[in-house]
Amino acid sequence: MKNDIVLREVCKFMIPAIQLYAVYIILHGHISPGGGFAGGTILSCSFIIAHLVFGRDYVKSKFNFNLLIKIMSICLIIYGIIKMYSFLTSGTHLPHPPIGVPGNILSGGFILPLNILVGIIVACVMYIVFDLFMEGGK
Amino acid sequence: MYKYFPLINVFVLMITAFTIPIVRKKKIARELSIFSNAVILILSIFILVNVISIGDFHYKAGYPNTFFGIDWYIGSIESVLSVLFAFVSLLIVIYSYKSIEHEVPNEKIDFYYILLNLLLASLLGIIYTNDLFNSYVFIEVSTLASCGIIVIKDKKANIKATIKYLIMSTVGSGLILMAIAYIYSLTGHLNMSLIHEVIIKNYTQYPNSVLIILVLFTVGLGVKSAMFPLHGWLPDAHSSAPTPSSALLSGLVIKVYAFTLIKILYRVFSFSIVNETIILNVIILLGSCGMIFGSIMAITQKELKRMVAYSSIAQMGYVFFGIGLGTPAGVATAVFHIVGHAVTKSALFLCSGLMIEKVGSKKISDLKGIGKEMPLALVLFTLGAFSMIGIPILPGFISKWYLSLACIEINRLSLVIIILTSSILNVIYYFPIIINGFFGHENLEGKVYKSKSVSIDRMLPIIFLMTAMVLVGGFSKNILNFISTAF
Repeated sequence: MKNDIVLREVCKFMIPAIQLYAVYIILHGHISPGGGFAGGTILSCSFIIAHLVFGRDYVKSKFNFNLLIKIMSICLIIYGIIKMYSFLTSGTHLPHPPIGVPGNILSGGFILPLNILVGIIVACVMYIVFDLFMEGGK
Repeated sequence: MYKYFPLINVFVLMITAFTIPIVRKKKIARELSIFSNAVILILSIFILVNVISIGDFHYKAGYPNTFFGIDWYIGSIESVLSVLFAFVSLLIVIYSYKSIEHEVPNEKIDFYYILLNLLLASLLGIIYTNDLFNSYVFIEVSTLASCGIIVIKDKKANIKATIKYLIMSTVGSGLILMAIAYIYSLTGHLNMSLIHEVIIKNYTQYPNSVLIILVLFTVGLGVKSAMFPLHGWLPDAHSSAPTPSSALLSGLVIKVYAFTLIKILYRVFSFSIVNETIILNVIILLGSCGMIFGSIMAITQKELKRMVAYSSIAQMGYVFFGIGLGTPAGVATAVFHIVGHAVTKSALFLCSGLMIEKVGSKKISDLKGIGKEMPLALVLFTLGAFSMIGIPILPGFISKWYLSLACIEINRLSLVIIILTSSILNVIYYFPIIINGFFGHENLEGKVYKSKSVSIDRMLPIIFLMTAMVLVGGFSKNILNFISTAF
């Protein structure tokens, strides 16, 4: 599969498009359906396609596992702190989550920052789990 | 201010858990874990003091004053259990500081402490929460974290035991989720107090649905807390895990599901509803079977840790026995037994871990004469065994005594015979270890006094746990009175 030239050339176009779409879904989470988890899954799909088509070493040359785990932990800590702040100050004082305005980042309360963090976490975790099952944790 | 403490407890544990992979140093991982556990203990003691002086309180996270906000309820039992869990877990983490390198591969030690922190956070969450779905989420986290701390040793037996545990407890989680879905479609609420209000008015119209919900919860939580015929995973998992994990799993993890069952039976439903159904008879039957057969199976074991694990099944039988009595006295005694058994069993597991490490064999037959080589360890083991058997003052005796009184109170004298039989069976498997360890000419021959004893700082957590156990026995009346105020 790695030597199939058609596949490689098509994927060179496909992977950036998939990543752009994932970023769009994450950043539009507070306005339209979608959000961190869905966008993060699509983002990790692009990593998985790159792993399958260009090989593991190609992906590892872009980012190694320790870095992924560190990024994920930092995102989790920031997520925890933001959520703790919103819980301790009794949330947004509204009975329903607010609906955002396009172009205004904090218009949806903390939903957009939390969506971005969830997207990064899900993308890292999905790719790590895929790699663990594919390569047996080497 | 103290109303935020339960939330801060869970947050501190979770956030320190994810700080560990950033630093990735074994020493810092251990110190962070000990530090966070100490913080939790201090905050839990604050909560307990406030509950004693001011009374129980609700904390609503998320959206307050709506029915879909997450509700946390801290009453007398919750505050006692949270202090207990923080205390036992702190001492187990301190014990693991010196001993974990013997059991867990070097590169996985920092992951081990992530899992320990996540496990304690989820256990505290299950205790505090007053929301069914919230408790389900925490139950899932605790299941995965406890699978992780078993498999981390990376031996064949661990992987086998973990897969068994994972499959069985996933089935249990599925049943719990099904029951929550059923109760939600029946009442339209997930908050336990609101469900109680709805169900107390309407339960006469849905007798079969109530029974189905109760059975699903009992079986689902019964798998996770090793109720008698569903205990198959426990001996393998608890005996093959690293020693601190065994102490944590046997001391705390299986208890929290029994407490969830108490919350569902007596807080979501109530004494009057539950007493009208058949479920209490089933629970008391399975509890009695666990008390008898758990002990009989423990007698036949050849390995020390396996024997102590089977003893856990027998002791969980007492908890279910107390739940099944269906009176406030019985349930309060069940909670007291949870407290007493948590400190005792974790200390027993740490003791047996030390003895196994020094002797280099898991077999009970190789431990003959250990009383001369490791006198302090065996003295502490003996103290814990006395509590299991039911020597007065120690908590094991107190819970057996009050369980018998609760049986006499509702005129079910035949149940007292089961308690007595189980106590005698406990003697049969604990005493041979103690007698062969301390006495017998051929056992002690050739053994050098204190030749295998370990330094006192490794013994200190066990000494603290045993002291706590004696104190729990000594102040049993105050603890029981305080617990009884919840019903």
